[in-house]
Amino acid sequence: MTAAAAARPESRRVAARFVADHPLLVLGTVLAVLVAITGVVERDYLSFDGLRNTVLFAAPLGIIAAGQTILMLTAGIDLSVAMIATGAAYVAGNQSPNGALVAILLGLTVGLAAGAANGIGVGVFRVNPLIMTLAMSSILVGLFTSWAFTILRGSTAVTDFIRAMGGGAFWDNRIPWSALVWAGVAALVIVGLRATGLGRMLYAIGDNPVAVRLAGVRAWQVLLAAYVLSGLFAALGGILLAGKAGAVDLQLAANFLLPSVAAAVIGGTSIFGGVGTYSGTVFGALILGVLNSLLTFLDAGQAVQQVVYGVIVLGLAWLYSWVTSLEE
Amino acid sequence: MFATPAAPARLWLRRHGWTAGVWLLLVVLVAWYATLIPKFGSFQVTSIAKNSLPIVFLSIGQAVVVIGGGIDLGVGGMLIMTNAAAAQLMDGQSLGVVLLIAVGVLAATALLNGLVGWIINVSKVPDIVVTLATGFIYSGFALMILPSPGGGTAGGFRYLFTGSDSGIGTNFWPAVVMVTLPTALVAQWLIRTRTGLSIYATGSDRNASFLSGVRTFRAKVVAYAVGGAFAALAGLATTALTGSGDPRFSIGANAMLNSVAAIVLGGIALTGGIGSVVGAVAAAIILFTLNPILTAIGFDPNTSQVIKGGLIVAVMMVAGLLELRRRRRE
Repeated sequence: MTAAAAARPESRRVAARFVADHPLLVLGTVLAVLVAITGVVERDYLSFDGLRNTVLFAAPLGIIAAGQTILMLTAGIDLSVAMIATGAAYVAGNQSPNGALVAILLGLTVGLAAGAANGIGVGVFRVNPLIMTLAMSSILVGLFTSWAFTILRGSTAVTDFIRAMGGGAFWDNRIPWSALVWAGVAALVIVGLRATGLGRMLYAIGDNPVAVRLAGVRAWQVLLAAYVLSGLFAALGGILLAGKAGAVDLQLAANFLLPSVAAAVIGGTSIFGGVGTYSGTVFGALILGVLNSLLTFLDAGQAVQQVVYGVIVLGLAWLYSWVTSLEE
Repeated sequence: MFATPAAPARLWLRRHGWTAGVWLLLVVLVAWYATLIPKFGSFQVTSIAKNSLPIVFLSIGQAVVVIGGGIDLGVGGMLIMTNAAAAQLMDGQSLGVVLLIAVGVLAATALLNGLVGWIINVSKVPDIVVTLATGFIYSGFALMILPSPGGGTAGGFRYLFTGSDSGIGTNFWPAVVMVTLPTALVAQWLIRTRTGLSIYATGSDRNASFLSGVRTFRAKVVAYAVGGAFAALAGLATTALTGSGDPRFSIGANAMLNSVAAIVLGGIALTGGIGSVVGAVAAAIILFTLNPILTAIGFDPNTSQVIKGGLIVAVMMVAGLLELRRRRRE
């Protein structure tokens, strides 16, 4: 009896350590289980057609969450991503008659400008990121609501190229183009965080800002770059969403704020900075994507969806913090 | 340095300077507003006092939570949930029943948000993540309770918050009392009672407080419970003001933004343990009063929103620079 009692905590600790060392394994399991459940609920889901819808939802979310992950690594957060995405999509829709290239570039400019403003506020003037980005969100709502009737009046439909990029698929309509865009972003962010000076500096600033400053790093430049990147990713995600929807309105990305934070948190990125990976966020976005499909199949109304979403995010975050605390 | 005769005054200014400044700004703004419009009388005072009630209550709740070292991004969801529940339950009832419902809603939400504080303590998940999630859950409940705008309440209940049974009038006393009484009570509670001080201590340094025997777990739960009750009070005030319920998500999100902006402008540090409810209340009223002022100058609502956002950023930038200069000097 004593041996069993002694062995159990030991094996439990080893198991906990294994789980904590391989977080992607846990996330992969959760994802697989969710896909299986969805497959049981709706037989047709386990096909290219069914899974494609999940990816079409997860790709823009994952791209928006890339910015969120980068900022959370610096102990920051961007609560303006939903509005940046909407604004970029709106500009892209408005400029669609001028060609896809102009539309996309001008759309990305929205992200660049808003991100730079956020970065200057947080990096140079040390405004709390929460306040800075909330205020930015409110400013963007005001600007775009009034611009929608003035300088951005006109086209609200996006051009065929953006439509294909956000909602189309290749290889016999099996693999969405947006998945390809997402893969590019993912490769860039994962390698960038691991192998570039900027990437390492993002972790360092989140881990110990004082030490980084004393080591002679110009922290404001790193923060500025991070917020600009977040703005650009949000804009790209918004343009993909516009392509998926085919037309733009000022509520387009409104429901993507919590999921973008949730995807990063589910993926194991700490909101206090210094800890996390983008590969985790990718799984987080996919999990939320499957969840979205599941709730659609269950024909749950918006109210139920919001409740389930909140409960799942809370539950997964709790599970994650429990697993990591077991290790200690 | 502290022995100089000027020290007490300087100390007072350093401690309460920001709060005093915010109140001064409010007085200046209201005075300016009075010169902008043709006639400034009790109707305008009533309008400002009653319409700022929801944001004032929300800010008091947010202030208590943030002083305790947390942040509640779920207050907006709580507001629309209680607004929906109150409007649904109170429709067509007598005043006595309506008041009972109000008390019941406040007690239930205090328990519910206390549970949120408990979850944050036990799960060790950051406050932002937990309350973003609970905010979503609350908004979902709001939609379940009241799928589309509607419902109603008793005239007497509207009088309690607005000074008239129809919600429109020139009797400003009820609304003014509704602003000052809770503010004074919470401010005194925070700095005079053991529990209130434990909330300040927990927000200032959780570990140090715990090691000195402060019941930090309890402080956090109480802070969230009080925060939840005040968010619910904001929902009840909204019901009294509009005479109906509206479960739209954007209303909650906007209210949440305003509550965070108000407490930060009011001098409460998001890191916890610093600031006072009194300053936050003034900032909340300022945030509301800016709307009629900007309208009186001739800006449309969208431009007003941009200006408001810009002002919040500008104030925070100046505060950041002052803080930086102070730290360099020391």
